Amino acid sequence: MAGKTPVDLVPLPVDEMLKTVLRTNDDPRRPVAEEFINKRRRDVLGAAFTALMLAPPSVAAAEPLVTLPAPPFELPVLPPVSGTWTVMVGVGGEYKPDFEGANRSMLSPVPIFAIRRAGSTEQFRGPRDSASIALIDFGDLRAGPAGKFVPSRKANSYSELNGLGDVNTAVELGGFVEYYPVDWFRTRGELRQGIGGHHGVVADLSADFIVPVIQRFTVSAGPRFTAETTKATSPYFGIDAVQAMATGLPIFDAKGGAHSVGAGAQVSYRIDPQWEVHSYVEYERLLGDAAKSPLVTVRGSPNQTTFGIGASYSFDIKIR
Amino acid sequence: MRRSSPCANFATVVVVAVSVGACAMIETRETKLQAVKTVGIISAVGDEMSFARMGLTGPNNASQSFPIGSWGLDDLIVQQATAALSGRFQVQPVNYPRAAFAAIKDSPIAPVNLVRGDPFKKLVQTEVSPQGLDAYIVITKAKSNFGNGARKVEGIGFISYGTLLASYSQIHALYEIRVLDGKTFDIIEKMAAPPLDNVATVGLTGPSRLVDESFSPSTGDPVRNENLHGAITDLIARSLSSTLSDMHLAAVR
Repeated sequence: MAGKTPVDLVPLPVDEMLKTVLRTNDDPRRPVAEEFINKRRRDVLGAAFTALMLAPPSVAAAEPLVTLPAPPFELPVLPPVSGTWTVMVGVGGEYKPDFEGANRSMLSPVPIFAIRRAGSTEQFRGPRDSASIALIDFGDLRAGPAGKFVPSRKANSYSELNGLGDVNTAVELGGFVEYYPVDWFRTRGELRQGIGGHHGVVADLSADFIVPVIQRFTVSAGPRFTAETTKATSPYFGIDAVQAMATGLPIFDAKGGAHSVGAGAQVSYRIDPQWEVHSYVEYERLLGDAAKSPLVTVRGSPNQTTFGIGASYSFDIKIR
Repeated sequence: MRRSSPCANFATVVVVAVSVGACAMIETRETKLQAVKTVGIISAVGDEMSFARMGLTGPNNASQSFPIGSWGLDDLIVQQATAALSGRFQVQPVNYPRAAFAAIKDSPIAPVNLVRGDPFKKLVQTEVSPQGLDAYIVITKAKSNFGNGARKVEGIGFISYGTLLASYSQIHALYEIRVLDGKTFDIIEKMAAPPLDNVATVGLTGPSRLVDESFSPSTGDPVRNENLHGAITDLIARSLSSTLSDMHLAAVR
């Protein structure tokens, strides 16, 4: 501490210290005082963060952030728009294989956005679920249209695909049915027809045990199975003569059938009515011709694992 | 001089037309409410109470229902709504078949609801007397999903929610309010009562609160449970005036 004048560090509110201690820039006591003030600030922030994490989540946002005018008409099929709505925004990250069958993975950002009636929590949704709307809703049995966006696969994006053709973006449209025999167990099936990048049919089956550990902490897990027709499998796993010449891989005629089997699990924790965090892992083992494709056996892997994590913030808007 | 493209012109015309149309429709809604002088209030919320076990339950988790008509909740709702609206409207008593209003359910098949339209419109037109008031305010049961599951609850009810480490009890009073034009019977305004500010974390889209096990209908005759009766009455009383003010029908809280 050579060259520094000892100071008597009496604990004071930070603002008071700023007024009383930091009078001039050349005061020899300034570095020590600044260090002390910064430590106090860190302590205060730390205490506030701890309190925030441990606070009981008993109170929702008391006042909506925004009030918007109600639309001038209502559709009988839809619930009334007027009222308080909760908007959820957030961001997540997904670490998943570069392409289906790849043995390398990449982290990519995932936006989170949802709107729901104030007071309600988001309905259970599996990470692999397609976007869907329940037009038929008996409570334990729900059904309706479903759709999934399958991004394009560009051959020049990854070295393993060099010499293979591009596969365009596909949109899969179809329907879903889900059934809850009890509140904590969901079974879901989807059947979708591909348009664009592939023209096959994809069927997804899944089951999830949904266990609320406490009121705001839920764990879910269950098996998955996917079957595809030849037209859905071939564009991604088939290798024609030209591609075989270009890649050195053997010609392979990929047929449809059982495509993958696996399991998934996710946890979600609501810190308070505004903040929620979640994480999930999905594992699938490619089956049938998808697993036998030289793209997978020579350059990739039949084991496909996806990790995801995200955090979201919810706020209320009022429509009146 | 630079000429604007036909597409831009067309887009401008469309934007202006939509804007004018929207303004006209908004004006119609506001104008309709401003023109209302006499109203009749219909309430069909409180004939029965449901009791549901949710969360980690056994396979036999069907809801039970208990009649609570003797609590007179609908009379209370009419009385409180009348008090809240009297500053702005002339509220007139109306006669209506309460059971017929309470019996109306949404179809679980959404397109069916779209095709049949709002069922209360015809009921008010044919079953309510006197006719000829400027508007009718219809208060009926609303439905909500519970938590993140698929089960729904409706109207007045008690939920016992089990988790792995704890269980919770919750009461709810879910209702929605329609304002029907007294001449055309079109819906001028419609809103479901929102959650109270002290809403619990287990989600319901309407008024609800956590309670202890002494409120449970399973511990005896729910009709004679004064705790339960008082708590439900309190939920309705606290939410009704705020919902009416959100609909611009009563003075702002």
